[in-house]
Amino acid sequence: MPSVVSSVASRTVAGQRPPDGARPASGAAIRTRGLAKSYRDNWTLRVKVGLSPLDLDVERGEIFGLLGPNGAGKTTTLKLLTGLLKPTQGRAWLMDVPAEDVRSRCALGFLPEQPYFYDYLNGVEYLEMVARLSGLAAAEATPQARHWLGRVGLSGRERVLLRKYSKGMLQRLGLAAALVHSPELLILDEPMSGLDPFGRRDVRDLILEQRERGVTVLFSSHILPDVEALCDRVAILLGGRLERVATVGELVSARGGSVEIRCAGAAVVELPHAFATTLRRSERPGETLFTLSDASLLEPVLAWMVESRLSVRAVIPQRGALEEVFLAAAEASANAASAEGVAAAGDTRRSA
Amino acid sequence: MSALVVARNTYREAIRDRVLLGIVIAGFAVLALTQVLRPLALGEGLRLTIDLGLSSIAFLGLLVVLLVGAGLVSKEIDRRTIYNLLSRPLPRWVYLVGKWAGLSTALWVVAAALGFALWALVALLGHPGYAGSIAEAVYLEGLELTLVTAVAVFFSSLSTPVLSALYTAGVFLGGQWCDDLRMIAGHFPGAFARVLEGAADVMPNLTLFNMRTLASSGATTSALHLALATLYALLYCGCALALGAAALESRDFK
Amino acid sequence: MAVSWAVALALGAAAFALAHWSARALPRPAPFGELAYYPSGRYLRPAVLGHPETAADLAWLRAVQYYGEHRRTDNRFDQLAHVFDILTALSPGFQSAYVFGSFALAQEGGRFPQAERLMRSGLENNPTSGRLAFEAGFLYYVRPGGRDLAHAAECFELASRLPGGPPSATRFAAFARQNSGSLVVAYALWADVLNTSSNRYMREAAEREMQRIRLAIESRRESLARDRLGVPGVIVRPGS
Repeated sequence: MPSVVSSVASRTVAGQRPPDGARPASGAAIRTRGLAKSYRDNWTLRVKVGLSPLDLDVERGEIFGLLGPNGAGKTTTLKLLTGLLKPTQGRAWLMDVPAEDVRSRCALGFLPEQPYFYDYLNGVEYLEMVARLSGLAAAEATPQARHWLGRVGLSGRERVLLRKYSKGMLQRLGLAAALVHSPELLILDEPMSGLDPFGRRDVRDLILEQRERGVTVLFSSHILPDVEALCDRVAILLGGRLERVATVGELVSARGGSVEIRCAGAAVVELPHAFATTLRRSERPGETLFTLSDASLLEPVLAWMVESRLSVRAVIPQRGALEEVFLAAAEASANAASAEGVAAAGDTRRSA
Repeated sequence: MSALVVARNTYREAIRDRVLLGIVIAGFAVLALTQVLRPLALGEGLRLTIDLGLSSIAFLGLLVVLLVGAGLVSKEIDRRTIYNLLSRPLPRWVYLVGKWAGLSTALWVVAAALGFALWALVALLGHPGYAGSIAEAVYLEGLELTLVTAVAVFFSSLSTPVLSALYTAGVFLGGQWCDDLRMIAGHFPGAFARVLEGAADVMPNLTLFNMRTLASSGATTSALHLALATLYALLYCGCALALGAAALESRDFK
Repeated sequence: MAVSWAVALALGAAAFALAHWSARALPRPAPFGELAYYPSGRYLRPAVLGHPETAADLAWLRAVQYYGEHRRTDNRFDQLAHVFDILTALSPGFQSAYVFGSFALAQEGGRFPQAERLMRSGLENNPTSGRLAFEAGFLYYVRPGGRDLAHAAECFELASRLPGGPPSATRFAAFARQNSGSLVVAYALWADVLNTSSNRYMREAAEREMQRIRLAIESRRESLARDRLGVPGVIVRPGS
C-alpha cells in the first residue's frame, strides 16, 4: 500500500511553486493519454461509455474550461483525474505524477459538484481537518482555515454548524476547502453553482487571483459567459468524446459573426434577390437596420448600398458568442451520431 | 497522522450526534433499574447489579456498532462527503483505519464511563473489592466491541447501512455460537461437517472476551487470557480492516 | 394542530381504558406458563448470546415471584423444578439457586427426589464449594419423611474439608454420625440458617422450626417437633 505522505515539503515532489507573479514552469500540469471510462451493468452486462479515450494537455498556469451538456463526461473526467474513479484504460498525470499515485493529490485542490460536508462540524473545524489531510501541520492549519473562511466571505460564521449553511455558503466553503492548503493545481466542478451574481463575481476574482499566482485551473461549467471571460482554452465534450480544444478567440472567430449596417433612407428600397437569404432589414425611428448573417458578403452589400444611394451611418461586426459555438457543435454532433446510427441500421439491413 | 485526523473527526461525529449520549443515559438507567430490582432478588442483589451492568455495556455497545458503525463508510459515500477526503493525499486504507479508530475510541469511552459507574455503585453497596474483576470484564468487552466495529466497517465498505448492520449482526451471532457450531459439526458427516467447522473458524471467537461469569463473583482472570484476547482482537481487526481496504480500493465513486 | 392533539388524547385514553378492562376481564396467563414451554437451559444458553448470567438473574427474579405467589395461594410449585433446572443450566455457578430451589422443592413442594437431583447437580458443577456441601448436608438432615443421616454426615464432612464451608461443619458431621435425629442438633442447624441466610423465606422457616422445637422441649413432647421435622425413623446406613 502506498505510504502516507503528509508533509508540506513532499508537495514539491510534484513541481516547484513559482514565485508570485512569475511565469509558471513549462510542461503540462495535467496530461491524459487514452484516458477512458466505461461501465458494465451487472444485470444486463451492457457496457455504457462514460468517457471515450481522451488525450488532453492542460499547461501550467493556464485556466482551462471543460464544456459539455449533462452526461457529456465532464465530471467523469474530473473524477478520473482526482482518483475518485478508476480508469478503464489509459493514464493521467497531475504535475508529472501519475494520477493513480496518491501523491499526485498533494498539490491538488478539488471542488466537487454540489459539495456535501459534515453537518456536525463548523466551518473552521472542517477547513482545519481538510488542511491537515492535505499536509499542513496543525499549527498552520488553523490560521489558514480562518484566513480562507474570511476570503470566501464566510467570516463571522466560524462557529456556525455546517448543517445551517445555505447552498451558496456551502459552495463557498467548498472553494475554501480546495484552496486552504495553497495548491498548485485547482480542479473545480461547476464552481459557480448555487451562487448569486455577487458570489460568481467573487469566484471569478478568486480564480484570476490564483492564475496570477501561477496556479493552474481546470474547471467545468454550464455558465458560458464565465467560461468565455476566464478561460485561456476550452475543451468541448459531447457524448463522452472530446470534440474540440481551442482558445475562446479561435472558437468564436471561426464561427464568423454577423455584421450590422445602419442606414438612412432605405425604407422603400427593394432588397436584391442575391442577398435575400443573408440580409435582413428592420426599421427603427430615423434609420434602417440591416443585419448581414454572412460577413463574407459585406463588400458586395456595401457596393449595392452605395449604388442605391443609401446613406450608410455605421458598419458594426457582431462577434459570435461561445453559446452559439457550443450549441452548433452539439447539434453537429447529434446529427453525426444520428447519421452513424442510420448508416449502421442500413448496413444491418443490407447484410440481412 | 492522517489516520488520526480522520479518527478525531469520526470521534467528534459520534459524540456530537448524541447517539452516544443516549447510550450512556440508557446505561445509567439500567444501573438504576438494578437497584429497583435488588429487593426482589432475595440477597442476590450484588450479583444482579454486576451481571446486568456488564451485560448492558456489551449490549448497548453492540447497538452503537450496528446503528453507527455499519453505516460509517457507506453513509459518507451516499452523502458524497467522502469526495472531499479521498481527493486529497489520503490513501483509502488510512481513511478506513481512521474511521474504525474513531468509533472504537468513542466506544471505549462509553464502556469506561459505564464501567466506572458500575464499580462506584458496587462500592457504594459495600463491596469496593470488585474493581479488578469489573475492570477486566469491561476491558474484554471493549476489545469485543472494537473487533465487531472492525467487522462493521468492513461490511460498510461493501454495502448499504441496513445490509451492513444485518451482516454484522450475523457475524456477531456466529461469534457467540462458535463452540456450538463445532459441536453441531460433529453430528454431520464429511463435507458438511468441514463446512461448519470452517465457518466456526472464520467467525470471531467472541467467547474469548466473555468474563461476565467470573466478574459477578469477584474473581479475576489470568494475565495470559487478557494478553491472548488482546492479541486475537488486534489480529482479527487487522484482517477485517485489510479486507475492507481491498474492497474500498476497487470502488468507483460515481 | 389542536384537532390532532385532541384526537391523539381521545384515542390514547380509549386504548388505555381498554387495556385496563382487558386485564380485568380476560384470564391472566399463569406466571410461569411460558417458561414451561422453554427447552432446557442447555439449549437456551446459545439463545442468550453470551449473557447466560444475566438471563439466569432474570429467571431468578421470576422464580422468586413464582414461589411467593404460590406460597400465598395454593402451595403448588409444579414448575419450580423446571425453572431451577433452566436457571442452573444457564449459570452453573449460581449457588444460591441450588440452595433455595432444593429447599423449596423439598420442604414445601414435597418433591425431595427433584430437590436431591438439583442439589447433586450443584455439587457436581461446584466441586470446591464448601457452602454448597454444607447446604446439601442440611437438606438430607431435614428430609421430610425421614432424615438421611448417612448422606448428611458425608456432606457435612465434605464441607469441613472444602473452602467456604462453615466452621461448624465438623460439629454437625459428628452430630449426624452419632445421633439419630436429636432435637438439639436440629435446633442448632436451624439457628445457623436464621443467622446466616440472606433469604427471607429461609429465615422465616428457621424461626418457625426453632419455635416448634422449643415448644416440644419445654412441654417434653418431642413428637410435636419431631412430627414436623419428618416422619418415621431415620435412615441409618450400615457401617456409619
